[in-house]
Amino acid sequence: MRVLDPRLEAEGQDMTMAPPLETLEGATLGLLDNAKIGTARFYDHVESILRSRYGVREFIRRRKPDSSRPAPAETLGELSAADALVSAVGD
Amino acid sequence: MSELPLSSATYDVDDPYAANELFQESGWTDGLPIVPPTPALVHRFLDAVGIEPAEIVGVEPVRRRRISGEKIAIAAVMAGCRPEYMRVVVALFRAVCAPEFGLHGCSASTGGSAPFAVVNGPVRREIGMNATHNALANGSRANASIGRTLRLLIINVLGGAPGRLDRSTLGHPGKFTFCVAEDEEDSPWPPLATDRGVPAGASAVTVLAAEPPHQVMNEWTRDPREILDTYAAAIRANMLTYSIWAGNYAVVIAKQQRDVIAAAGWGKRQIREYVFDAARVRRSDWRSVGKGAIAARRDEDKVYTALRSPDDLLIVAAGGPAGGFGAVVPPWYGAKSLAVTRTI
Repeated sequence: MRVLDPRLEAEGQDMTMAPPLETLEGATLGLLDNAKIGTARFYDHVESILRSRYGVREFIRRRKPDSSRPAPAETLGELSAADALVSAVGD
Repeated sequence: MSELPLSSATYDVDDPYAANELFQESGWTDGLPIVPPTPALVHRFLDAVGIEPAEIVGVEPVRRRRISGEKIAIAAVMAGCRPEYMRVVVALFRAVCAPEFGLHGCSASTGGSAPFAVVNGPVRREIGMNATHNALANGSRANASIGRTLRLLIINVLGGAPGRLDRSTLGHPGKFTFCVAEDEEDSPWPPLATDRGVPAGASAVTVLAAEPPHQVMNEWTRDPREILDTYAAAIRANMLTYSIWAGNYAVVIAKQQRDVIAAAGWGKRQIREYVFDAARVRRSDWRSVGKGAIAARRDEDKVYTALRSPDDLLIVAAGGPAGGFGAVVPPWYGAKSLAVTRTI
């Protein structure tokens, strides 16, 4: 007997990671906060490490309005000015 | 029967037992056995609802996954549906794809919710749904397989397998199936679908991303206020021990309590308003359940309501005829996911 595959095939192009930056020295980094309760404090810590140890010059920090839904296009537009983006997932 | 082509990959197996083994080993089920989805069965299920295989029935709004009639029919066959259940399945899937339902979030969350579906209208009797004895559990093939179809779709078309997209810490048994019909024939009140704007006589499904039902019991009073105080206490306990945020709570009220409440002349409006007033906690109450650390972060005198307004309460008439029982079905996470109703 013949049976059908119940899964949905992925549509569109597979996503790939952007190539890493050569250096973080003088870079501008985006930090996307997923709006969970501890994320802002976590990012404060990440920011201080990246500034003091790696010479990151500037941060663009934005917080999603809702952890369960995608970041609004306007937020992504503002973050696109960064050289690289950190998107933290979790509480 | 429609002969429009199906696009899913196919597998040749020796017999239904081997088909089940393939699906189990591949992680394409909830662990229970499946009915093998053959092309002939999938065509028959699509014909029953007049949908073509490639027709997009719903789009999951976050990951923009477009779900075709073919995939819905495959899941319905697997779950043990009969073809005539398809119109309920299709309406249910359209309902969970509404942006306000937040299907991605409630399917992925560590909070571990399940879609709780309530079916109203003539379709309940036409397909043999159960609304009485054991209403929230086993008792009808239609209840069981319609709810299960949605779970299989979440697993197979949304990627919601445990440990993958589904990050539930515990989950709950309603994730196998969680579908009930309302006992409209034996209820003193208009059905849930009517409350939510569906014209009388039409069939509809309402779905809520829900935590497990918490059963309550009070058969020692004729005062509707005292009965509803019991429900409100269960809601307050949920607010303190699980989630304080306001949203859609459902209350399932079985016949014995319905009769007492109706005999006092109370309708759904009075029930909703009473529960709205009674189901509220003070932030400082968190201290009584071991959550002092979070209580102190904001004004401890702040009062939280379980419902944003009385209309947030979904009142469902279901359950067997004897026993002063009911159930509170809490929302997954406040108003992050809202109940959605779709006409069948």
